[in-house]
Amino acid sequence: MNKSAQSPLAHTARLLDLVPYLASHQGIELGVLAQYFGVTQTQMIADLTSLWMCGLPGYTHLELMDLSFDSGFVTIHNADTLSNPRTLSDEETIALLLGLDLVIKSLPDNRGDLKERAAVLVEKLSKPGSLPAILSASPTVEGSVRALIESALLRDGAINLTYHSFYSDVISNRIVIPIEIRHEAGFEYLWGMCQSAHALRIFRLDRIQAIEITARPHPSLVDSTPKNQAPSSYAIRSHSRPREVMERFSLDRDSILHDASITSYSLEWIRRSVLASSGSVELISPPYMRADIVTAAKAMLDCYK
Amino acid sequence: MSRKSERLINLTIALLATKRYLAKGEIFRSVSGYEGSDETKERMFERDKDDLRNLGVRIDVGSFDPLFEDEAGYRIRPEGYSLDMGAISGTEVALLSLAAAAWRGAALDGAAHSALRKLASMGIESDLDSLPAIAPRLHTQHGDLQSITTAMSKRESISFTYLSPDLAREVRTIQPYAIATRDSHWYVAGNDLDKLHLRTFRLDRIEGEISILKNGQGYEIPLGFDIFASLTQQERANNATLDIRKGKAELLRKRAQTITDKGEWDHITLTYSNERAFIDLLLWHGQDVLVIEPPTLRDSIILCLQEIVALHE
Repeated sequence: MNKSAQSPLAHTARLLDLVPYLASHQGIELGVLAQYFGVTQTQMIADLTSLWMCGLPGYTHLELMDLSFDSGFVTIHNADTLSNPRTLSDEETIALLLGLDLVIKSLPDNRGDLKERAAVLVEKLSKPGSLPAILSASPTVEGSVRALIESALLRDGAINLTYHSFYSDVISNRIVIPIEIRHEAGFEYLWGMCQSAHALRIFRLDRIQAIEITARPHPSLVDSTPKNQAPSSYAIRSHSRPREVMERFSLDRDSILHDASITSYSLEWIRRSVLASSGSVELISPPYMRADIVTAAKAMLDCYK
Repeated sequence: MSRKSERLINLTIALLATKRYLAKGEIFRSVSGYEGSDETKERMFERDKDDLRNLGVRIDVGSFDPLFEDEAGYRIRPEGYSLDMGAISGTEVALLSLAAAAWRGAALDGAAHSALRKLASMGIESDLDSLPAIAPRLHTQHGDLQSITTAMSKRESISFTYLSPDLAREVRTIQPYAIATRDSHWYVAGNDLDKLHLRTFRLDRIEGEISILKNGQGYEIPLGFDIFASLTQQERANNATLDIRKGKAELLRKRAQTITDKGEWDHITLTYSNERAFIDLLLWHGQDVLVIEPPTLRDSIILCLQEIVALHE
């Protein structure tokens, strides 16, 4: 049992919400009910027993709620006073409003009808004066991309991706057998076996430009050993804009105050990141990489002559 | 624990069922669970009222008898207690379910889930098949988000340590107006009580816990407040013309307003607001991007490149 289930207030809230749910789901199985409310069956039986003692003043069988759950299926009667669900709390409303905003932006453009209906719901939920349009969520990933990957995962299918590789700035097509979706630091990544690379590859979902389900390639085409290559180490020094440098190179505050050491598999990423720091970052070592940065910057300067 | 919950449930039922105000004496006589001395019952009742209010149950206080105006009576109006979504269809319930599901495993999961249970209790089946296959998700484990929404809903100020651009740790105190996510970052905007001005903060730049200041002062959120307007305020949109190499610079290509084919290169026009960030983005693309207009931007790029050369040579 979790902690919130034990606090008397959380318990009362659950009991109050249990009554209307039961009234609209007569005959629900006890185990299903317990799971839905996130408690153990024992706790649910205790909850139902508590409700049994409740009712209108007088507290005879005429006034008390009438619950039955001996059979493993729960029914409730004589509970009209509490049978309407409680109004949403501000926190619940905020969660739904942010979610709806995201849904509206994730719906395809040709479903203006649904966008409109969702907008009406937003209006209904924003009680006058209390929660105006102060909540906004924007999707980083098109909703259909994730739905398609999830469906490929469920059906053991493969997907055909058009992918924008950020570091090399190249768009390519790949057939991938999805393994899982992970999220890290606000971004979502697809881990999958890439048929073109014959290896495990990681794709950031918001860089997927197009996606479709495709036939699963023959197993022999897929080499499941990831290509291991050691990352290189680099040292950088921040000369200005330290917070931006910290965020660009995913460092923590203390390490950026001195020369910071970073490791990367991609020389291209290091080069681009140093250039894109517009002079606020100096690459200290290794020397060959310093020379590489100079060559790149001089070549760019030549284009402006 | 359960005796207290039972008493609160019985009190709720009694106050909901009554069509007139109930006096304390009546409540103590008729509602099960009030025992002990008068003083004990009084104390119990005061606590119970607070508890129910904390659960969002609105208790009206009024005079139950016009002839005895000084004795207060209590009741809960059903219209204030119950969820009223008006007429609602299965498709709309499905949209709300999708909105709640977006929080799966993230910061407001608990609140989204309990909202969903209340919606399910309206007894309208969710018609998920009427929606296209989309699965929007909100990813944030920020406990901060929960603190901010709680503070916002109670109109309480919050205080936190914030990393300034030069990495100083500053304590900021704001009245939060709005939260939003854009480009995978969460933002909170509000009235900064020290700077006496509207400020926007990125949540991942907040260090440590957010404390809620329960000073009970409250505040008003300006009507129609727009967080994105506040994010981009004071930033004028500028026009730029670039040459970008064919098949390259996808990030800039996506933002282009016009694209003209020039053989090996494409000629694009686009707008930018934050010059600093725009220069960084242009330099990221190396020799695949060339700035044509405006001349000031061209000059800034050249200066940055000269500085990079000087730093590394």
